[in-house]
Amino acid sequence: MKIVFDKVNKNFGIVNALKNISFEIDQGEFVFLIGNSGAGKSTILKLILNQLKPTSGKILLGDIDLSQGNKEDVNQTRRKIGVVFQDYQLIVDKTIEENIALILDIVNYPKEKIQSRIDQVIKEVNLGTRRFLFPSQLAGGELQRAALARALAIEPEVILADEPTGNLDPENSWNLVKLLKEINQKNNTTIIMTTHNNDIIESMGKKVIKLNEGEII
Amino acid sequence: MNPLKTTWHHIRRSPFQSLIATIVMILSFFFISTFAIINSGLSSVLSYFETKPEITLFLKDGLDKPTVENIQKELSSYSGIKEITFISKEKALTIYKEQNKDNPLLTEMVTASILPASFEITVSEPQILEEIYQNYSTKTNVIDEIIYQKDIIKSLLDWTSATRKIGIAIVLIISLISFLTIITIIGMKITNRKDEIKTSRLLGASNFYVKKPFLIEGVIYGLVGSILGFFFSFIFVLISQKSINSFFQPVVFIDINTNFYILLLVAEIFIGTVLGFTASWIGVKRYIKY
Repeated sequence: MKIVFDKVNKNFGIVNALKNISFEIDQGEFVFLIGNSGAGKSTILKLILNQLKPTSGKILLGDIDLSQGNKEDVNQTRRKIGVVFQDYQLIVDKTIEENIALILDIVNYPKEKIQSRIDQVIKEVNLGTRRFLFPSQLAGGELQRAALARALAIEPEVILADEPTGNLDPENSWNLVKLLKEINQKNNTTIIMTTHNNDIIESMGKKVIKLNEGEII
Repeated sequence: MNPLKTTWHHIRRSPFQSLIATIVMILSFFFISTFAIINSGLSSVLSYFETKPEITLFLKDGLDKPTVENIQKELSSYSGIKEITFISKEKALTIYKEQNKDNPLLTEMVTASILPASFEITVSEPQILEEIYQNYSTKTNVIDEIIYQKDIIKSLLDWTSATRKIGIAIVLIISLISFLTIITIIGMKITNRKDEIKTSRLLGASNFYVKKPFLIEGVIYGLVGSILGFFFSFIFVLISQKSINSFFQPVVFIDINTNFYILLLVAEIFIGTVLGFTASWIGVKRYIKY
């Protein structure tokens, strides 16, 4: 699924969060969105997820114009996107396994294959027996992996990862990035990741979109 | 994930809210069932009196046969008389025994001699009832007592109508309270789970997907409330049937008629389901806006 931003502006009242942003991301690309806090990184992710509407401009996800799409188009698009939220957004009174089962149910994953898919992604992110615990019982790194497991479960075309290494120690950060790289190469999944970690950006050698005060520089 | 499983999860996570919704529904349907049963009993009382003669003249004891025949002749001369039935002392005893067959104590000591003979009169022109009443109420040498059924029916009709109006008002108020309770409780549950709903929506869940468990929850409250409310009312009726029926004797106020109770249960389940669904639908529409 190709992602196109064409002259996108996003205003919050008098604040111009994004100013005339244009870029294209092809299927299978690994892209870093970087910039200081308030530069507009999370706003771009929210626009891709249609959590926000652009003030002007056009956002295309594959064939669908998000600024024109109806509710069903939005839902269908969201079901192709795996999201690792900055604050995880795992459902607190469901176990990790139930959190993963929920998204599989949302995307109408075949019922008989749900359990084996959960086993597979739990193994992939190395959560093992933690699967039966609630989010409040997990450490930061484990929560991040649980959120990634949920994003991976639906075999998404795109993964949006908002500061996924923000709360992790260096070792866990590297493990997570390696895992994302592996998924990107193995499944041709588009990865869009926001981060402040320059070491990771430099060592990966991937496409970088740098933002400053809502503009691409 | 099975929506019923999700609904059960919601109920378990806020058990006291669920309990309140269920109790309010049970109370509503307890009152609805009880009112329906009372209403049916009142109809039995009314129809009992409506099928009775419109005026009954009880004769003094010791009247000879020609005097009785004279009274019957005189009554027959009124235009607009439909039927005149003479109830002898012996027949009165038979009727009395039949009416009190379940209570031998009341029949043991009674003999035909202590019961009065009477004329039961039904008319085709109601205006002559007053004329008969006025005429015979002065003949105290031959008439012991007059029962003028019209008064009883009128007063019964007034009482029945008042009871029905009060009953309907109570049922409507209680139903409204339970309806608003479900809307509020579903709203509270949605507010408690707004983060989960928001996340589900961002993960691609449709509007209906996130609403469905709450709608099912409302239907469950309606179903459980109607079935248990009916059940408790039925138990109450079974326990009090004997004493209520004995109070209203000879009318059978509470008659355990299977068809009536099955129909009542089915109607209540239907009303409960519609009430629960509509209330939760309004709650969901009002509170899920994202």
